[in-house]
Amino acid sequence: MDKQQRLKNWQEKTEQSMNRFPERKERFHTSSDIEIKRLYGAEEENYPFDTLGLPGEYPYTRGSQSTMYRARFWTMRQYAGFGSAEETNKRFRYLLEQGQTGLSVAFDLPTQIGYDSDQPMARGEVGKVGVAIDSLEDMEALLKDIPLDKVSTSMTINAPASVLLAMYIAVAQKQGVEADQLSGTIQNDILKEYIARGTYIFPPNPSMRLITDIFAYCQSHVPKWNTISISGYHIREAGANAAQELAFTIANGLAYVDAALEAGLQIDDFAPRLAFFFNAHNQFFEEAAKFRAARRMWAKLMKERYGAKNPKSWQLRFHTQTGGSTLTAQQPDNNIVRVTTQALSAVLGGTQSLHTNSRDEALALPTEESARIALRTQQILAHETGVADTVDPLAGSYYVESLTDELERKANEYLDKIEQMGGAVSAVEQGYMQREIHHTSYETQKKIENGQEIIVGMNKFTIDNEPQPELLRVDPELGEKQKEKLKALKSNRDQNRVSAQLEMLRSAAKGQDNLMPVILECVKSYCTVGEICGVLREEFGEYTGV
Amino acid sequence: MKKTIRVLIAKPGLDGHDRGALVISQALRDYGMEVIYTGLRQTPEQIAAAAIQEDVDAIGLSCLSGAHNELFPEVMRLLQERGADDIIVVGGGVIPWEDIPFLESKGIKKVFTPGTPTIETAKYIEKTVFERDGISTSQVPVTPPERIDHIGIAVSSLDETLPFYVNQLGLTLEAIEEVPSQRVKVAFIKIGDTRLELLEAMSEDSPIAQFIEKRGQGVHHVALGVSDIQSRIDELKLNDIKMINEAPVIGAGGAQVAFMHPSSSHKVLFELCEKSKKEEV
Repeated sequence: MDKQQRLKNWQEKTEQSMNRFPERKERFHTSSDIEIKRLYGAEEENYPFDTLGLPGEYPYTRGSQSTMYRARFWTMRQYAGFGSAEETNKRFRYLLEQGQTGLSVAFDLPTQIGYDSDQPMARGEVGKVGVAIDSLEDMEALLKDIPLDKVSTSMTINAPASVLLAMYIAVAQKQGVEADQLSGTIQNDILKEYIARGTYIFPPNPSMRLITDIFAYCQSHVPKWNTISISGYHIREAGANAAQELAFTIANGLAYVDAALEAGLQIDDFAPRLAFFFNAHNQFFEEAAKFRAARRMWAKLMKERYGAKNPKSWQLRFHTQTGGSTLTAQQPDNNIVRVTTQALSAVLGGTQSLHTNSRDEALALPTEESARIALRTQQILAHETGVADTVDPLAGSYYVESLTDELERKANEYLDKIEQMGGAVSAVEQGYMQREIHHTSYETQKKIENGQEIIVGMNKFTIDNEPQPELLRVDPELGEKQKEKLKALKSNRDQNRVSAQLEMLRSAAKGQDNLMPVILECVKSYCTVGEICGVLREEFGEYTGV
Repeated sequence: MKKTIRVLIAKPGLDGHDRGALVISQALRDYGMEVIYTGLRQTPEQIAAAAIQEDVDAIGLSCLSGAHNELFPEVMRLLQERGADDIIVVGGGVIPWEDIPFLESKGIKKVFTPGTPTIETAKYIEKTVFERDGISTSQVPVTPPERIDHIGIAVSSLDETLPFYVNQLGLTLEAIEEVPSQRVKVAFIKIGDTRLELLEAMSEDSPIAQFIEKRGQGVHHVALGVSDIQSRIDELKLNDIKMINEAPVIGAGGAQVAFMHPSSSHKVLFELCEKSKKEEV
């Protein structure tokens, strides 16, 4: 197709989409009244259509939609959750009142690892890094008075993702909201748990089955749900560099695609619901380039390797969180500045949603004040800086385009290596990614300690007698309270129904049927997270590390 | 033989963040310790049992989930119950400052907060273990000096002394140089791989003038040739050696030098001396 024609088609298509999603303003302009165009560069003689495409078009280097933030800002989605379901519900409602546009639930570690609050392994951990959920009763309290047909909810849950998704569906039904109206995301990315984050339960094979069961179930029952959030975030936090984050995340993504195809699903039936989650780290231009490279790589793989036909299957949509491990315990207010530049790189890279970290996260869970500053940081970027007024403003920068190409090349080298090992699952089992990440992380540590890398306020520009900021404390009695709540639940529920449902789950786990429907029945009968995962532990076994 | 310290690095609780645990494990290994890493999700019982079975000197507990106030003291309680409370326990992770006094009251020796250089943790563990074992801290591993760089001799007058070395002993005078920082004039006399340095005071407040006034002419100091002088100074300080110069100063021939305090070296004045690379060529 001739370039002029291509551009004309794009303009027509964009205007059509604007009938449905109008832009934020009639006219965008700078302080000097220079009109800001939607798109720059494409009219140029040598515009590289093949590598950049146009916004919202293959290979999506310039963004997954044609108008990007001119129509709607990214979703501001702050990850929150601590203590009891009631307390977290209060924080959620506070964040929504403050203008946050989506929820993001942090669960405590026992929930993430499939233990109830009263199990010995849960000792000391109940309600600490997130909210404690034992049964549907807790989930009802967590989501009380939150309109689930209007709010999209992201849940950081992996090994027991089916259980928590089932609870969400069950609460919605009680609110009168049908599953097909629900929108949100479950993280559901077990491979990066083995690699970097550590909240695995089952070995890889049954874990992959749980994941593809969710893909299949959601396709017919919860079509607006993002069934997985393939996460580079934690890989980066564990010490990887940008190219490794990009490569290992995409390698994991390919493993899920392969598993789903093997389970008999069709690529265009599940690929549009795959979502990604990346880190925004310190190196500003490299980060922005990384997001652009990720979109291009995924689009090519989906179209060329898997033959996906639906453009939605080609689009890599992603959430971003600023880099927790870049924050210092020293002079914590400096972290606000770090978060700002990291967030800006995510916005310039075209993220769909964003979490900005709080300044005090190297010390404890954020206080309400810190959480508010973090949200304000993104609001300032959105409303005051004008960075969202044109699409992909960094495109055409010699430096950024070169970084984008180079990251893609480096990541492809890793992908080739992983493929030779038999794919991501087998590379994880061999400890390959874990070793690569550890190597990079140790080198980074040495550079920081010998001053080759400067961390302001930590190894340079330090001060004596740091003031000690006020920190958030989780109620230390919570563990006991949660145990009592659980005891009460167990004596009030229909125990026969619970036992019967758990036995049905057991026989389903032994067979091949989709596990989602029977898990949904379990949660509706008030079986606990620990009971459901306990049955699956017995049937599937437990992963014990490399 | 130097004692090899054995350390157990452990992740109590359900926290999966082990970047710090892995980094500190490798850093301690690089420092010369034997390190056993438990892996994730260890109960306090498992940690205490592993520490006893592996006969470790120290345990490093890492926790980023906020469960430290329950799990760390429980490890201490179990060690005590099994008579293994001589094991030195330190901690790290995301631990609020205000929790540190409580943890220390439960027997945790030290809590390292984010940003602590790994070398600091290694040295702390080493010092604490050696103190516990009554091993003189002078046995802290040091890199020994490499050679006698030179012997310094205080003289009243170079003109009067030089003929003895040059004519009567038949040695070669290499150069004469003034070192303003020490207010001395130095004559270098080559002897085999080393040198004699004759030192003449240039003013009355020169250390050499004071030395001669107190003790008369004679051997003033012995210079030990080292590499990476700042690290050598740091090691000596760890071994309770008092330094006159805690950072190197420029001495004769552009070398970096630092003197030990004679009170630490049985009255002999020793100098550490690192020749600049250029001169060695």
